[in-house]
Amino acid sequence: MTEATHTVKSYEQELEHLRSLMRQMGGLVERQTAQAVKAIVDGDDEAAIEPPELDPEVDELEREAEALAIRILALRSPMAVDLRTIVAALKITGDLERIGDYASSIARRAMKLDMEGGPSLVGLRSMGRLVQDNLRRAIDALANEDRDASVAVWQADAAVDELYTAMFRELMTYMMEDPRNIGTCIHLMFVAKNLERIGDHTTNIAERVYYAVTGEMLPSVRPRGGRGNMASLQS
Amino acid sequence: MIGQASQETKVAEKPAIAVRNLDFYYGDNKALRNITMDFQRRKVTGMIGPSGCGKSTLLRVLNRMYDLYPGQRATGEVLFAGRNVIGSGVDINRLRARVGMVFQKPTPFPMSIYDNIAFGVKLHEKLSRSEMDARVEDVLRRVALWGEVKDRLKASATALSGGQQQRLCIARTIATRPEVVLLDEPTSALDPVSTARIEELLDELKKEFTIAIVTHNMQQAARCADQVAFFYLGELVEMDSTDRMFTAPKETRTQDYITGRFG
Repeated sequence: MTEATHTVKSYEQELEHLRSLMRQMGGLVERQTAQAVKAIVDGDDEAAIEPPELDPEVDELEREAEALAIRILALRSPMAVDLRTIVAALKITGDLERIGDYASSIARRAMKLDMEGGPSLVGLRSMGRLVQDNLRRAIDALANEDRDASVAVWQADAAVDELYTAMFRELMTYMMEDPRNIGTCIHLMFVAKNLERIGDHTTNIAERVYYAVTGEMLPSVRPRGGRGNMASLQS
Repeated sequence: MIGQASQETKVAEKPAIAVRNLDFYYGDNKALRNITMDFQRRKVTGMIGPSGCGKSTLLRVLNRMYDLYPGQRATGEVLFAGRNVIGSGVDINRLRARVGMVFQKPTPFPMSIYDNIAFGVKLHEKLSRSEMDARVEDVLRRVALWGEVKDRLKASATALSGGQQQRLCIARTIATRPEVVLLDEPTSALDPVSTARIEELLDELKKEFTIAIVTHNMQQAARCADQVAFFYLGELVEMDSTDRMFTAPKETRTQDYITGRFG
């Protein structure tokens, strides 16, 4: 990257504003995800309220970031690291917005779920913890423009996929054991799927950070866990 | 588009011009320092850098334009058609016919449109009237000026608009059938539409000619060039395919310059 600042100060300010919008979004989405996971694994209905409430704010920030990015592209004809930052910002804000949506969806399900006597939540708890942790590290990598941290996050999603596959298997077993579990298990299956999707968007963010910082794309095939097993489970 | 170009750049063909360890002096002032680079055949090489970085100087070395001024000298090698053009015993008029140049301000001769083109051709070739007519029409068509001037070929070239004058100058340059065309900020005095016409023209011309263009307009370099060289304080800092240079340059100095952080 570069230490120098733009000759045109307003350009510098616009880029900084764009970065700050991403950081704000990152903070909100982290909060949404944390609360959603808390709501589901601790059965904390209070926590479930916040994620959907934060959604409009996240959406608004995304729109603002998009408008600003378009404005910079049109007016400044950005090059090199600036161009990469702006293109990455357009993608990253999209990913963050989706993560927020998934978190809200998890929170809404948490409110509906009555977990009394339901299946064990151990798997979901570790999955939630891992997904949150990766998201936090991705957002830190974004804020610090940290190449190595982005690679670490990118690699860490394999573990999420593995947990998801294990969850899938586990929930399937519960449903086969007792059809009365099916309702709850379907909800939990969606929750697991949403967490897995959050993991994927987190990986996308790491990829974009890596691109913005280095100008190189990470390989299109990332380390994956669990997907191979999914195919055999579904067939 | 630029992605494609970069792919093509990688196909190694013998360069049209190979510059090797070139130093250039304006009196005691060293304006180019140990430049080594290739101008790929039938590609557009863009040259960028802040004022005084040496890019125009290099252009002027390639066809020995600097010979016109005392106290300017070049050392090293500029290999073109198997010869070192900055060495002795080079037929400079012949060289300039083969390595043509177009300047920042249109420089039509104070004569008719027709004669502007015929003038240079006559110095190098003996053509019949009809052959000359055909040559004039051909080059005017290629610069997309024929439609606009075909009914007034005998009118003075100075009555044309700036953009038309510049296209005429390009026509005049390619009329002597050069191998290389050098352009020194060819559109900096033109409006956007005339600029677009020239850029469109470059795309056509590169099918046949090797082109080197000096420009201060980064977007222009990005649009027109297949490879881009960045100069700073007389040094070649970095040269790469256009898409690499503008999306992910290797050197911090290049990045700082093209993103507007200095210069």
